[in-house]
Amino acid sequence: MISFKSIFSRIIFLHVIALVITAIFMPVVLYWFLRSAANDLHAQAMREQAGLVAHYLQLRDDGHWTLDLPPALQDLYSQAYGRYAYAVIDDTGHVLFSSSKEQTAIFPQDRRSPEVAFLETRRGDARLSGVSIARRMGEHMVWIEVGEDLAHRDVIIDDIVADFFMRVGWIILPILFFLLLIDVVIFRRALRPLVHASESAKKINPARTDLRLSEESIPDEILPLVQAVNQAFDRLEVGFRVQREFTADAAHELRTPLTILRSRVETLADKTAAAALKRDIDAMSRIVSQLLDIAELETFAIDPAERADLRDICAELAEFAAPLALAQGKHIALSGAADSVRVNGSGEMIARAVRNLIENALNHSPAGQTVEIVVEKPGVVRVLDDGPGIKSDERELIFRRFWRRDRRRSGSAGLGLAIVKRIADAHGAIVKVENRAGGGAAFSLIFA
Amino acid sequence: MRLAVVEDNVELAQLLSRGLQEKGYETDILTTAAEAREAVTSTRYAALVLDLGLPDGDGLSILREVRQRKDPVPVLVLTARGGVHDRVNGLRSGADDYLVKPFAFEELVARLEALLRRPGQMLGRSLQVANLVFDTESRQTFIDDKPQVLSARETTVLELLLRRKDRVISKKLVEDHIFGNAGEVASNAVEVYVHRLRKQLAERGAKVQIHTIRGVGYLLAEEK
Repeated sequence: MISFKSIFSRIIFLHVIALVITAIFMPVVLYWFLRSAANDLHAQAMREQAGLVAHYLQLRDDGHWTLDLPPALQDLYSQAYGRYAYAVIDDTGHVLFSSSKEQTAIFPQDRRSPEVAFLETRRGDARLSGVSIARRMGEHMVWIEVGEDLAHRDVIIDDIVADFFMRVGWIILPILFFLLLIDVVIFRRALRPLVHASESAKKINPARTDLRLSEESIPDEILPLVQAVNQAFDRLEVGFRVQREFTADAAHELRTPLTILRSRVETLADKTAAAALKRDIDAMSRIVSQLLDIAELETFAIDPAERADLRDICAELAEFAAPLALAQGKHIALSGAADSVRVNGSGEMIARAVRNLIENALNHSPAGQTVEIVVEKPGVVRVLDDGPGIKSDERELIFRRFWRRDRRRSGSAGLGLAIVKRIADAHGAIVKVENRAGGGAAFSLIFA
Repeated sequence: MRLAVVEDNVELAQLLSRGLQEKGYETDILTTAAEAREAVTSTRYAALVLDLGLPDGDGLSILREVRQRKDPVPVLVLTARGGVHDRVNGLRSGADDYLVKPFAFEELVARLEALLRRPGQMLGRSLQVANLVFDTESRQTFIDDKPQVLSARETTVLELLLRRKDRVISKKLVEDHIFGNAGEVASNAVEVYVHRLRKQLAERGAKVQIHTIRGVGYLLAEEK
């Protein structure tokens, strides 16, 4: 069985098969009906003729039979005309009268039954078809046979039957074809609500979980499916909302205790211990923030209407990161495009990605060096550092969650680049890692 | 000087308040939105430290109410969420600055003092970093208590840097302050003034450093 992707082509295919079958069977059936109607007519005509012959048959008082056919009937049965024949047979099988010169019966196989018998015989080339009816006259039974040469019958009725295909049958084909065209239109109309439903389904994404398939003008057969899909979307929306709320609550519940912890540590008398604890708390805070970022990214989808300015984002991030860099004896610089570099996407998320790239670069840069942020048109952010660079066999690994080159090093959970990758993917952007000619790594975020 | 600390976590509120008291501020702890609403309408605070996540309401709505009354009190917003969205919402609703939890207490104090030092706010007239002092009223600069002569534009740049100590001020901001809407400005004009100021301060023994953040702006910090 050929399998079709679309319901439409499936219906049309089956429909064409049905039409082909109809196109073959309908003429055959009609032909058969026509034929049997013609045969019935013939049989009835034969019975009537036999009755007519019987009407003129008389048994005289002397025991002789007479048959006085009027001239019109005599002509009908004349040999010259050759179309009809009759014979009258008595109960001994003796032929009393016959239209043939030889005075023979028409149907040699006539069993002379009391019921009307329909019989056929061949005489030379001619095929005679007719009836044999019984009549009681006084004490005698006679059988009147009437036959018609079927070779002659085509003059009227068989013409119709034989010419059926030529004259009438062909019209079935254009009618069926026309029907097919109408059906194509009907199927298209009937399937339109489905097409609309699938179009609106396409628009639903994590950013637009409020959208639903329209149940209006959806046929009853498909309505349960649409309703089920909508209910699934309802549950999905709840799921997304719960996840978002969870992330928001988790942020609050985790960050407030960390703030308390940090504030408490600051009151410690032992400043050396306090400084070490603060470093630990800062590292932990960073991991918590990254985990929350990852949790938030699970339910994140881009609002297609949102635009972001890479230049603005990078300037703000550089301002934010500069004091941190200076505290570590490092520098930050921004270069590249002087005006706006606009891309489609969420400014907030892009900022998180670039921030992680900057933090990553700062972590790997030696003191005294500068982390360079370069913004380029039409939509590229590069973050360049003077660190050890990335080995070629690690270029894929670094984007995995919790991957770290050195597991013994604390303060990093290996989440930063995974966040960068996820945000880039959500924006259809590419993250490229290269090693700079003079040493160090270059991460590029390239927007389409 | 009296500060309001609006924070639903009592422990954190007490820690903050204790720390601020050590720095010489009086503090009122307000743990619900309702309490905060009442307090900020009846008391005149020098500044508000406002947590956005309150059990009985959003901190932002309090902020909006304060601003609707045209109350110019400086507001420092605390938020558990670091998203730009939250930040933009906070600043649009009238916050003067924000801090994302967890923050360092010194950072909180520094931000608060920066707000209180704004023109028209309560904290003293002088800005100080290391041995460098600037009197905001007389616009006089002192190094080791010795008055210094600086040009008007150098003084403007110095004030900007001092007001946002340890934070970057953008080149654009400096440009706007020096030249106002004077139209076309030579692209290196700001650099020239900053360079001159840096040289002057170094020559006169100020223990501060003006860092250039290339492509971004400038940052003044204590010399290490």
